[in-house]
Amino acid sequence: MAEPAPGAGLFGMLAEFDRPERLIEAVEKARQAGFRRLDAHTPFPIEGLAERLGFADQRVPLFTLLGGIVGAAVGYGMQVYTNHAFPIDIGNRPLVAPPAFMLITFELTVLFAVLFAIGSMLALNRLPRLHHPLFDLDEFHLASSNKFFLLVLGNDPLFEEERTRAFLETLTPTRISPVEHTEVPE
Amino acid sequence: MTDAAPTPGGYAAITGEIVDIALDYPDRRAWWACFGLALLLLLSFFVSVTVLFWYGVGVWGNNIPVAWGLAISNYIWFLGIGHAGTLISAMLLLLEQHWRNSLNRFAEAMTLFAVVCAGLYPLVHLGRPWLFYWIAPYPNTMTVWPQFKSPLTWDFFAVLTYLTVSILFWYIGIVPDVASARDRARKRRTQVFFGLAALGWRGSAHHWARWRQAYRLTAAIAVPLVVSVHSEVSLLFAAGPIPGWTSTVFPPYFVLGAAFSGFAVVSMIAIVLRHALGLQNLVTPRHLDLLAKLLLATGLMTAYGYWAEVFDTLYAGEHQEMGTLLDRLGGVYAWSYWGAVVANFVPLQLLWFRRVRVQPLLLFLISLSVTVGMWFERYMLLVTTLYRDYLVSSWREYHPSFWDWSLFAGMLGVFLTLFLLFVRFLPIISSFEVKEALFEEKGKKEQAHG
Amino acid sequence: MDMDREARTPPHIDRRSLLRAMAASLALASAAGRRARADERALPYVNAPEFVVPGKPKWYATAVGFSGCAQPVLGKTYVGRPVKLEGNADHPLTGGATDVFMQAALLGLYDPARSQAPQLLGQAATWAAFDAAVAGRRLTLEARQGEGLRLLTGAVSSPTLLRQISDLLRRWPKARWHVSEPLSDANRQQAAQTVFGRRLDQLLRLDEANVVVSLDDDFLGAGPRQAPYAHRWSKRRLAWQQGQGASQLHVAESSLTTTGSMADHRLTVSPSRIGLLVAAIAQELGVGPAPAAPLAPTERTWTKQVMEALRASHGSSVVTVGAAHAPDVHAVALLINERLGAHGNTLTFIDPITSVPAPDDENSVAALAGDMNAGRVSTLVMLEVNPAYATPAGLAFRQALEKVEFTLHAGLYVDETARLSHWHVPLQHDLESWTDACSVDGTVCLTQPLIRPFYDVRSLHAVLDRWAGDTRSDHDLVRATWRHAWGSDFDDRWRDSLVRGFVADSAPTPVLPTIANRNVSIKAPTAGALMIDIRPDPTIWDGRFANNAWLQETPKPISKVTWGNVVVVSPRLAAERRISRGDELRLEANGRSITGAAWIAPGQDDKTLTVTLGYGADRTGPLPHGLGYDAFALCNDAGSWVLDGARLGTTGKHLVVASTQLHQEMDGFDFVRRVDRADRPVKKHPEAASFYPERKWDSPSWGMSVDLDLCIGCNACMVACMAENNVPVVGKELVEQGRQMHWLRVDHYFEGDANEPSSSFQPVPCMHCEQAPCEMGCPVNATVHSHDGLNLQVYNRCVGTRTCASYCPYKVRRFNWFENTGDDPEQLRAMRNPDVTVRSRGVMEKCTYCVQRISAARIASQIAGHPIRDGDVVTACQQACPTQAIVFGDVTDRASAVSRRKASPRDYSLLEEANTRPRTTYLARVRADRRPS
Repeated sequence: MAEPAPGAGLFGMLAEFDRPERLIEAVEKARQAGFRRLDAHTPFPIEGLAERLGFADQRVPLFTLLGGIVGAAVGYGMQVYTNHAFPIDIGNRPLVAPPAFMLITFELTVLFAVLFAIGSMLALNRLPRLHHPLFDLDEFHLASSNKFFLLVLGNDPLFEEERTRAFLETLTPTRISPVEHTEVPE
Repeated sequence: MTDAAPTPGGYAAITGEIVDIALDYPDRRAWWACFGLALLLLLSFFVSVTVLFWYGVGVWGNNIPVAWGLAISNYIWFLGIGHAGTLISAMLLLLEQHWRNSLNRFAEAMTLFAVVCAGLYPLVHLGRPWLFYWIAPYPNTMTVWPQFKSPLTWDFFAVLTYLTVSILFWYIGIVPDVASARDRARKRRTQVFFGLAALGWRGSAHHWARWRQAYRLTAAIAVPLVVSVHSEVSLLFAAGPIPGWTSTVFPPYFVLGAAFSGFAVVSMIAIVLRHALGLQNLVTPRHLDLLAKLLLATGLMTAYGYWAEVFDTLYAGEHQEMGTLLDRLGGVYAWSYWGAVVANFVPLQLLWFRRVRVQPLLLFLISLSVTVGMWFERYMLLVTTLYRDYLVSSWREYHPSFWDWSLFAGMLGVFLTLFLLFVRFLPIISSFEVKEALFEEKGKKEQAHG
Repeated sequence: MDMDREARTPPHIDRRSLLRAMAASLALASAAGRRARADERALPYVNAPEFVVPGKPKWYATAVGFSGCAQPVLGKTYVGRPVKLEGNADHPLTGGATDVFMQAALLGLYDPARSQAPQLLGQAATWAAFDAAVAGRRLTLEARQGEGLRLLTGAVSSPTLLRQISDLLRRWPKARWHVSEPLSDANRQQAAQTVFGRRLDQLLRLDEANVVVSLDDDFLGAGPRQAPYAHRWSKRRLAWQQGQGASQLHVAESSLTTTGSMADHRLTVSPSRIGLLVAAIAQELGVGPAPAAPLAPTERTWTKQVMEALRASHGSSVVTVGAAHAPDVHAVALLINERLGAHGNTLTFIDPITSVPAPDDENSVAALAGDMNAGRVSTLVMLEVNPAYATPAGLAFRQALEKVEFTLHAGLYVDETARLSHWHVPLQHDLESWTDACSVDGTVCLTQPLIRPFYDVRSLHAVLDRWAGDTRSDHDLVRATWRHAWGSDFDDRWRDSLVRGFVADSAPTPVLPTIANRNVSIKAPTAGALMIDIRPDPTIWDGRFANNAWLQETPKPISKVTWGNVVVVSPRLAAERRISRGDELRLEANGRSITGAAWIAPGQDDKTLTVTLGYGADRTGPLPHGLGYDAFALCNDAGSWVLDGARLGTTGKHLVVASTQLHQEMDGFDFVRRVDRADRPVKKHPEAASFYPERKWDSPSWGMSVDLDLCIGCNACMVACMAENNVPVVGKELVEQGRQMHWLRVDHYFEGDANEPSSSFQPVPCMHCEQAPCEMGCPVNATVHSHDGLNLQVYNRCVGTRTCASYCPYKVRRFNWFENTGDDPEQLRAMRNPDVTVRSRGVMEKCTYCVQRISAARIASQIAGHPIRDGDVVTACQQACPTQAIVFGDVTDRASAVSRRKASPRDYSLLEEANTRPRTTYLARVRADRRPS
């Protein structure tokens, strides 16, 4: 999801909750309030949370399928091509012996599928990314332990520092903190 | 009930309990003791390989007819062990067996390192190891390609694929925990290390969503992969026209044996870690119980493989095959056959009793015996077949030389070294998945209450 | 000497017993540097261009000597380097047949361990100093008409050498000549002396004999006559296979031999009973009294069948007795043969080709030893003999040597005798000398050098000529002999003989002697206690080839033992005494004893221990040390090879025996198949269906057929293969570990009863399977199939996974476990066949069907513009085979010899059940056919 360009205004507003249930409520309320550019940060995956935030991306499975197909083609193609590129009589077997070629074809199907799956996941998540405005907040390190955060991004049409903070107050988070843009632009 | 016993203090405590092992290792003296031993063995590895490369394969006991020896039987043994990790984490993940969360991380690591050892063996066993890459298809001055009808080429691709997939599966699985290690790290050095390894993971819900898609897909693909890999390894034998090898039983027989030995090793590691690092409330008796059940099940299937093999031979009654069978039962290497049968299946029967299954020490010993038994089996399958094949004129015994054994010890060193480093520096249990499980269990309870 | 130290160092991890030790010697490396130079006075066999074409071989007809006889060979040379010896097909006697010694002579020439400079008292000396010493010696001898001068040689058939010796004796009447040839035909000649009143050589016309009865005579086994006899026997056998006449072989022997293995009807019997059997046959034929003792039942039935056969084939049968047996036995055998009408038909006589110096005849060495001890010998000249080792211990020759004031040893090696002599001078190898000698039928072979000597060595003739006070070269001396003999037409005959390799029609016409004395009888055998039967070693003879690594690594035909000799005991005796293979046995007879490793073999007489000559743990000289035992140490006097009243014990130690085949019982398999008659079809397994379509092979497509009914297991093919294909020698340790490199092995199988086994040989080269499992297994395309049906091995592509070897049902593949060739001394590099790649460490190798010969033939035929004709390609093993058991050619050509062989009903392929479709197939052995036509 596109992030606010550095420069004017805040990167976003971060609300901290101590229990996942509270975060889920907060997300729903924020959506009802009309916020669209939202993100949540949790120590572990929470079933359905992303969907509540409006996540409906099926590209990873598609890439995986694509990888599988490419792998199969490469695998079988390679074996057929090389056997024709330098034809050699091997134990009186025919040059192209599908039974013998199947195994490598399968292996490459698997290999490419997995490479595409994980590759696309990282790419679409914009990872690896070693620096991020959120990392500047001290409390955020708990996002990987036991705290649950809701982030309203600065480029949300409804975002306005004071009003957003007021709205978040109503969700009774344990803490609210504005997120500054990082000085160093990436 | 919850799989991990309810931890007082909830998520934070779990995180601490697991991640702090990596950040601030509890019992360093014991670790160093083990690591010292591992390094000694590792030294043996380097010495053995140097001698091997300097003089040639002749330093081993191999001969004609037994052109393959310990190197190949150990390759199959290690690779077999290397199958449990992926099986456990992938299959159980798909089956939503949350109890897996306490085991999958180190099971996967074990897999990785076992596969590394397995991969090294065929490499050093070559007559001209410096040319190993000729098995890979690449445009070369000879304009020759690999021979894709050879089981060895199949193996090359299978093992390579398996290694790559296992590494990726293990790595993206560990990233979130590495992130929490990064966040808890106080020392600059560890912050940088984990910071880089975590790829900047920040637990974004969108990230989690895609991560989950990729993770589950990989798991789904890994299960058939595991099966295919060891089937291919079995073809290394089954594709040769040698009595005692040419058998259609081999692929399933090998896969089951692999899972069998793998689960045995996982159980051993689970039991050791549990005691060494006080993870009693993460690796609970229930886990041991389930592992033991898996062990028993795969063991019985392997036993069926043995029986089927004998039955096939008797049923076909082919002269040469019969000869090989009788030789296995009563020949010079009968010890390896009966060693395999006894060590694999006799102590195993104790696992019918729950009391034994949850008794760590007993389970450990049984698993150990299975690991040894499976080694016997690999050795038996290779040697008894080759040392007496078709022509009686070429019969000759095979005895591993000192350098065969020293390299074997060395390989164990490679495994131990890698595994100890993993235990020392990385989260050995998937903390975020334990937390997730905890959360979902709670959810279920609340629904139950109303 | 540093060679000794090297050789004595304990076996090292990559140690190859012999060649490495040799490599270590500094002197050798330097000596080897010289360029190979052809002797331009030699004349090539086929008319080759005058100038040398690199890469184009030149052939020379010449000969190599073996116990006084000439073995005719053709030498293949590249730019003046001999690289291969083959039989001379034009020779009237051998017709191209060869044996292991003939094949291995090449390595003898290049052997880095050869002596390369004169020695005085073990210190390096010069030829000049030697000449001075001889000159000095001559003055005193001249004064006393040569009194005190003794000449000791091996058996001599060389006209030139004989001329030189007689000249010397004429000049110095008081000088005397002695001959030391441990294994000779002396007993046969003595018998002739008794019966005919003159010494005669006997020659078996096995090609004429429908029925051959051998009493402990291993005439197909190793020896100067092996090649011709095997050749003649196979002619008869082949004719019989075509339905002409018969080919029956009845053998009575104490220990299984190659001859016994070919027997239709074999009897295991103690050597002490041979005389009785001969007497029994004589009595049946009415040429002798009843045997001195009654026959055992088995002996009676055997004799009965023999008699039937003999009576049924008058004039086409022959009885032959082993050379080791007493003259009186031979004498009776002569009478039997006369009665059988054998004389002049199946048994011919010629005047001895090797003369034995009067007056001592076969006691020559004993007499010499006596005189030495009595101080009657002041000067002893020993030419190409090693009496300090190869004489019966009873003569105590070593001690006798010390009593002689001037001893000279001339030989190829610094051997036992050289070490105990004042002077040692190095001789030329036959392949670098001019000389002459007779083949066993008396045909004179002119020996011309294939290469100029590359060490500072002299010819035997030249050395002897110094004693005549002259300094002529070997070339001049030999020419002188024949110029005198041929007179005016010398030049033509000389050129002609050099080109042929022998003097046309020089074989003496056989004599038909009249019987002067019929009054011969056979002494009663001594009571049958335990006996020791001493035989020549099948690969190193009496020890003279001990230095030849090819022969050392060649398995003994029956036991398949390499690098040593064993004591053969029967299974029953072994069971009685609780002896197992490899146990160290102590043998005692007439007060002397030896210890050697036990070898248990079927077909061995229960009361006989068979031992062989040539080895000995304490042998000195540049040969591999600590191998086997020295059987000479058991002998009292020359010629008595069967010792009675032996005692047998075990030392409790266990010795390493390096055998290439540990399991010789066929275990009910049918690797070697038999048919009842030559025209009966052999039992075949139904060929399994193939998953893939049949391939059409275009001509030529190569294949081989091996007739097991002709193979006598002599190993000539094996050694020929080693020479042709640069097959490395690995040494005892590695053979014992199962790492020998032979591309072609000869398997030996026993079947049936342990006392009367049927025994057979099976040469196993690569089968060149049409559906080769090895090709399927190789991941890097290092073993692939060629368009003309060969299973190729691409050395530079091989990474050494050894999958091919694991998948090969025939286990014919050989792996370079260590670097086997890299540290070969220069001499051995010079010997290599330039047409064959030398393999490095970590690479698989195997029989290629001599692919280099195939491509040579292809090139030649393309230049000539015609397709390759049948017979254009002759593999090394095929050429070497003395019995034509191996035939090679184009299998797609119906008319080719190999196709005709494969069309035989006896044709079968090994391990059909593996469904590999081998190109090498076998012809089944034919069981005894007792009805001679």
